[in-house]
Amino acid sequence: MSNITSVTPSNVPAKADSGREKRQGRNPFRSMADAFAMPLLAIFTAFLIGALVIFFTSWITSHNIRDSLNTVIEAYLGLFRGAFTKERGFTESLVATVPYIFLSLGLAIGFKSGLFNIGVEGQFYIGAIAVAWAGALPALRSLPAIVFLPLIILVGALGGGLWAAIPGYLKARTGAHEVITTMMMNYIAFRLVEYLISFPLKDKGSSATQTLPVADGAQIWTLSMIPAKLRDPLDALMIALVFAFIAFVIARWLFDLPAMRNRIQNTGQKRLYTFGFAALIGVLIFIGLPALSRVWWPFTDQYDRMHIGLFLAFMAAVFVWWLLWKTTLGFELRTVGANTNAARYAGMNITRNIIVAMSLSGALAGVAGAVEVLAVSSCRCMQLFFSSGYGFDSIAIALLAKNNPFGIILASFLWGSMRNGADLMELNSGVSKYIISLIQGLVLLFVAAPAIVRWIYRIKAERRPEEEAPLTHGWGGG
Amino acid sequence: MSLALQTSGITKRFPGVLANDRVDFELEKGEIHALLGENGAGKSTLMNILYGLYQPDEGEISINGQRTQITSPYDAIAQGIGMVHQHFMLVPPLTVTENIMLGQESEVGWTKPLGKLSVLDRSSVANRIRELSERYALQVDPDAYIRDLPVGAQQRVEIVKALYRSADILILDEPTAVLTPQEADELFVIMRTLIEQGKSIIFITHKLREVFAVANRISVMRAGRMVGMVNPADATRQLLAEMMVGREVLLQVDKTEAKPQAVVLQVNDLCVLDDRRHMAVDGVSLEVREGEILGVAGVQGNGQTELAEALTGLRHAVEGHVTILGHDTTHATPRQVVEVGSSHVPEDRQKHGLVLSFPVRDNLVLCSYYKKPFANGIEINSVAIEQQAEELVATFDIRTPSIETSAGSLSGGNQQKVIVARELSRPFKLLIVSQPTRGLDVGSIEFIHRRIVEARDKGAAVLLISAELDEIMSLSDRIAVMYKGQILETLDVKEATREKLGLLMAGVSKEGEHV
Repeated sequence: MSNITSVTPSNVPAKADSGREKRQGRNPFRSMADAFAMPLLAIFTAFLIGALVIFFTSWITSHNIRDSLNTVIEAYLGLFRGAFTKERGFTESLVATVPYIFLSLGLAIGFKSGLFNIGVEGQFYIGAIAVAWAGALPALRSLPAIVFLPLIILVGALGGGLWAAIPGYLKARTGAHEVITTMMMNYIAFRLVEYLISFPLKDKGSSATQTLPVADGAQIWTLSMIPAKLRDPLDALMIALVFAFIAFVIARWLFDLPAMRNRIQNTGQKRLYTFGFAALIGVLIFIGLPALSRVWWPFTDQYDRMHIGLFLAFMAAVFVWWLLWKTTLGFELRTVGANTNAARYAGMNITRNIIVAMSLSGALAGVAGAVEVLAVSSCRCMQLFFSSGYGFDSIAIALLAKNNPFGIILASFLWGSMRNGADLMELNSGVSKYIISLIQGLVLLFVAAPAIVRWIYRIKAERRPEEEAPLTHGWGGG
Repeated sequence: MSLALQTSGITKRFPGVLANDRVDFELEKGEIHALLGENGAGKSTLMNILYGLYQPDEGEISINGQRTQITSPYDAIAQGIGMVHQHFMLVPPLTVTENIMLGQESEVGWTKPLGKLSVLDRSSVANRIRELSERYALQVDPDAYIRDLPVGAQQRVEIVKALYRSADILILDEPTAVLTPQEADELFVIMRTLIEQGKSIIFITHKLREVFAVANRISVMRAGRMVGMVNPADATRQLLAEMMVGREVLLQVDKTEAKPQAVVLQVNDLCVLDDRRHMAVDGVSLEVREGEILGVAGVQGNGQTELAEALTGLRHAVEGHVTILGHDTTHATPRQVVEVGSSHVPEDRQKHGLVLSFPVRDNLVLCSYYKKPFANGIEINSVAIEQQAEELVATFDIRTPSIETSAGSLSGGNQQKVIVARELSRPFKLLIVSQPTRGLDVGSIEFIHRRIVEARDKGAAVLLISAELDEIMSLSDRIAVMYKGQILETLDVKEATREKLGLLMAGVSKEGEHV
């Protein structure tokens, strides 16, 4: 044993110890505070240093402390207004949040499996182009949304997933490091997509270099479109089915809570209640929502790009959480990520798990690309200059959230808001919007090196060996 | 004789734990003072205080009769204290010289218009290393790369490193835990040379035989307190074991005569390559029957590791056959080997046996997570996993704050108990255990030995691979001695003596010839 761990005498009565630990475990606020404190301090410190940088860059030219202070305030106020309070500011932030959620979830699956999928940006592109192609196929034009939407999202997932499976296979079979191969795959993806948009998939009728717009049934709705869409019973049925599924998941989760577990023992009864609840919600939505939307609908701004892909992103977060922590596949992925030797000893198939992890990671990136094309792009198509940078930002988000799917939602929102608010900040204060990158970089630095934050705020380190920092796995080389 | 080092009333508290409780300790000049104690008894805390890594809450330290404070490892080195850690602090891709000068680089420099330029002065350091290595009979080649050196040689480098920093007091923290019996004997010779040259040594261990081999005096710690100090002449192993554990200990396992039944594991002419593609297992044949323990003895590195890995599907066999309960498992995957009814306690518990970052409860289902009741289809049943974890923690006496604690924060003994609990709680007919008690304390060894014999008595076939001759002799019903990838001889335990086995382990077969 190492010197540090052996300070706990094994002879100390075990009972006293277990009581202490249990009390800690039972207090959710304490563990919540632990999980949130460091990221929040990292963000706070990054903004503080960002303020100093703005102050000094302004001071160098003006030599006026009051003006420089004003610039700092103007900049951050502009950032805040742009992200939240200006017209459509908040919803635009949400629109930018959606791809971040999908992409960082993909990265989180990779990190948890010991893989650093730096190629999410490329998989995002491939997912987008696959969707732009399939969505505009003449053969599928007349499909209703209830068939087309699930299908087209699957196409996006397949595009990104297969693209990522290649480096996964290379890693599993030959040991080629995924950081290198996915990065190379990125460049292939960018150029391939440029070629496809410029030639085979180009919309000949358009003066811009872009693909054909996708069919109506393949589009993801913005919020203002919903009342009109719901007049079609098939579309209403689709929404009802989604809600029924969500109700099903919630009901299952409720019945699995320790308090409920003992109250209803009979599994048949449990199943009946679960399905009953799901059916009830489904019927209610099917009948109620179209009616309600006709009478009263708060989202009427047709220029608002806020779309239902956000709910898809939330569902993806729940799915990833379930997959990683509640399934045997997730157990295998996490074991392979944490200790490949032990995974082999335990009889897990390393090759298969690496390929599966890369494919899932890429599939989520592909869905992000799909949503961008189907919901956000103004032409509902893919344009030549489809630059995003979402994929690279997401590495920072996954790290900030420590690969926790729910943390990813919060961190994605932070990144989305900053991305969205940066323009107004620049307009208002004259501070370059790239200061945002600086702040994001600092956040990442502080999250990756928590010792700095602990030192600044004099926080004592808790010697609780947690699951190791994800980056260290990716660079293991094995 | 004067005192090289003395502590009085050292107390160190960690949150919730009194790691050192008014500890008095003294080291005379030119003696080897053994410090005995189970894992977690507070030995390492005391040594870390002496090495400046921790500050005591109370108490005093004096060196050479002068009261002093040790504020950091630098300070400790400056005051002549050197430490050889159990896990070596060496950089594998660097040479011995570079490792030894690390942190105290000597430079040859000259001032130029561009500023001071300097290069590392390797040759003078290398010469000094040769000098030290000759004087203390340490046999260290300054130009060798650490990654090429065997463990025993790496340890000598650590000792030279301490001597290079002019240490007079050497702290050896469980130095034999990573060594073969032969390497340990070599170390003892070195230790004696060191004290003849006027150094003083604190020798931390929990192996009883070793203290009798080298120590001049023995101090025993238990639960943070100093229990007592004895001279080896006045002590017996039984006495020391009781002082360490605080109760009576069975050093010898009680077991009845084996009643071997049908053959469970049959190995014919097995050949296995090691990582460097050398023949590590060279035509091994053996069989293990229900209700017996076959011990495989041998100096570490004679193919035992590769044999166990080949039997459990972790390594490919190039020739030969393995049959478990009638199934041909020569080229089976680890999962298939488990599925035919075998359990495996791996040699390296941290590399193969556990996922250190996972909680205890997940480590307890590492090999059965996909089966009912732990899984329903593709979903994991956390309730069943927690239930089993609570049960196993109780029955196998795993000392852990909770089942949610990560395996990495348990002591070595408790980590091993987690593995043993997991492997023995599944239904099995064949048990393969490799080095089951390496680095463990007396209490845990006793516990694990009892469990292995119990498994045998319930009708399992047990293959025990161990480098500890005592362990092999007290547990096995038959003993196979492995040397250079071959089994030289298989003896009944009744005809096996220490001397006989020792000769076989050194490669001397019955006819008195070297193989």
